[in-house]
Amino acid sequence: MAVEFPPEVKREFDELVAKYEQTRAALLPVLHLAQREFGYISPEVEEYVAGLMELPPTKVHEVVTFYTLYHKTQPGKHVIRLCKTLSCHLLGAHTIKDHLCRKIGLENGHGTTPDGRFTLELVECLGACEFAPMMQVDERYYGPLTPEKIDEIIDGLTDEPVVENVDEG
Amino acid sequence: MPTLTIDGIEVTVPDKTNLIEAAKMVGAEIPHYCYHPGLSVAGNCRMCLVEIEKAPKLAIGCFTPCQEGMVVHTSTEKVLQARKDVLEFLLINHPLDCPVCDQAGECWLQIYYMKHGQYESRMMEDKIKKHKKATAIGPTVTLDQERCILCARCVRFCDEISKTSELGIFNRGNHAELDVFPGKELNNKYSGNVVDICPVGALTDRDFRFQCRVWYLDTQDSICPGCSRGCNIQVHYNLDRPHHAEGRRVLRLKPRFNPEVNKYWICDEGRYGYKFIDDESRILMPQVMRNGGMEFVSWDEALKASAEKIKASIPEELGVLASPQLTNEELYLIRKLFVEELGATQVEFRVPPKEEGYSDDYLVKADKNPNTKGAEEIGLAVGSAEEILKAAAEKKLSALVIFVHNLVNSGLDDSLVKAALEGVETLIFIGSNFSDTSEKANVILPSATYAEKSGTFANSEGRVQRIHEAVPPLGESLPEWQILNELARALGLDWDYQGTEHIFAELAKDVPAFANLTYEILGDQGQTLGYVPPAEEEALVEHGELEAVRAT
Ligand code: SF4
Ligand code: SF4
Ligand code: FES
Repeated sequence: MAVEFPPEVKREFDELVAKYEQTRAALLPVLHLAQREFGYISPEVEEYVAGLMELPPTKVHEVVTFYTLYHKTQPGKHVIRLCKTLSCHLLGAHTIKDHLCRKIGLENGHGTTPDGRFTLELVECLGACEFAPMMQVDERYYGPLTPEKIDEIIDGLTDEPVVENVDEG
Repeated sequence: MPTLTIDGIEVTVPDKTNLIEAAKMVGAEIPHYCYHPGLSVAGNCRMCLVEIEKAPKLAIGCFTPCQEGMVVHTSTEKVLQARKDVLEFLLINHPLDCPVCDQAGECWLQIYYMKHGQYESRMMEDKIKKHKKATAIGPTVTLDQERCILCARCVRFCDEISKTSELGIFNRGNHAELDVFPGKELNNKYSGNVVDICPVGALTDRDFRFQCRVWYLDTQDSICPGCSRGCNIQVHYNLDRPHHAEGRRVLRLKPRFNPEVNKYWICDEGRYGYKFIDDESRILMPQVMRNGGMEFVSWDEALKASAEKIKASIPEELGVLASPQLTNEELYLIRKLFVEELGATQVEFRVPPKEEGYSDDYLVKADKNPNTKGAEEIGLAVGSAEEILKAAAEKKLSALVIFVHNLVNSGLDDSLVKAALEGVETLIFIGSNFSDTSEKANVILPSATYAEKSGTFANSEGRVQRIHEAVPPLGESLPEWQILNELARALGLDWDYQGTEHIFAELAKDVPAFANLTYEILGDQGQTLGYVPPAEEEALVEHGELEAVRAT
């Protein structure tokens, strides 16, 4: 696969870069754009972005590896981020995790399921303690979670990513 | 020019001087890792913390510019404790590698730990494992990530000096690692310098690794003979451990600071170009053609044979190819002996190279000779190498003396070279290593390499710089100036040069460009041709004052 933005994404890239005084300053949003476009950021994508932005590839690799929100390998169709910080922990995130792993078929507790459908990341506080225990699926928050609620959410997922919207259920 | 007080000593420093440099001026050392005077300031290691009066907390010396009236303390209890703490942090994930680490003995973790160490370890946690250990990351450098303290000197070097940006610090927190981009190499014309500036054993030199413990090395100041830039170097050698490094004596070259020439750096071509010094191709004994074969002979016999052949030639039949690899002292003696005493007219030093040498806009020059400028000034460009060879090929020369050059692999026409080397009756080769040219000689006089003799080179900008003998000439080889002295004596002249300084003094009187220069004036950083000493009357005034002071 030749790594290249299709014309409409290239336009988005140009607009992003135009917002900043220095091209380099647009690196984070450009990488998000690249991640949306290519699914994850491989060294090839880094080199492509570096070329577009006239940066040494090492500088792009430094940024990509610094931030956990950039995927370095192909993630599952849905990325689940389960909070492991205090409020969620006290309200049983651990049981939720075990149940979730069984439900999606993940053996070692994190990473991507063998069928490539789910990636589970255990993350620090997502700033939604009022929903504890909570998780984020793609761009949407869910909570408070119970095993039943987990089953319902997982069974209700299609192959399309979930869009941003807080479920206050 | 702010004036400030450091450890109770008042000092006035140039604007923008930082505290580390200012402290040096009063003889105080502020320990540091990430700061390097040849690179931008990063301020990430925190080793250089000092106390500044009226400042709320300790400040880093590398990033704090001196200011008027500042009062700085470099070794209060608070500072000493901070250093201990910083070192403790830096060592959290550091392996216990010193016994197998090539940096041991010149490692700044070891050096500072002696003074500022915690000694009682408080670390119970498991160390974080990094990915690359003893891994080559390019043709010249080996990386050991767990030894790295993430000072980013090497990263800045590749960004700012070589401008190749091969290195980066990837991942974060205690998982951060120094590395090359996936699938790429550290490979540039200056890559070896990252080893010099890495304060620890994270980057080591593939060429030098495990050849010798650094505490067995002796050092001698010299000049790189790799090109006409004339970078200042140190020759690191060892004479007592022939069981090391296959008996090589010279084990590595390091850059030596000279703000006018090479700053803190040298190129890889120069750095790794020293192998010929202890190479198997070295010529160890004089040889003379006898009964159709070359025979080893004593110096006396070889000189006698050479003198006979030279004497037998009338000046027009004598050709001399000097070399810009030789020192000014030697070139001067060549001129004196062959041009002035013997009247030779077919004298030249320039031989065109096979192909244009690599050059860039930083250090490396296309002219791969250290002393072209000196040879020009001394006046050895009389004919042209081509004309001399033509004369030889046409059997118009009875003797040809070639210093150092290998004509066979040069830019001169191959068939002309062949015809010349075969056409001349007597071919005297004076050089350090065998070559296709020495093969054709009927007299071979073994000479010393630049690491085995003293003298001066003039770089392309006319800076005259000294080289010093690091190791003795190998086998029976001798410095060219000594060979020339002996040859002159064999020719019946009463030469008696006792050393290169003696020759240089005469040269400075004789060759206008060198006027006023002495070894003392050259010092260890050199001085340019056409040097004008401080005005004479000034000197007189000084002298007068000196006398006056003495009288009281
Ligand atoms: S490899 Fe050496 S120079 Fe580079 S960041 Fe690590 S310690 Fe510093
Ligand atoms: S730039 Fe020239 S003089 Fe300097 S190290 Fe390289 S070869 Fe030697
Ligand atoms: S030398 Fe000052 S912070 Fe590293």
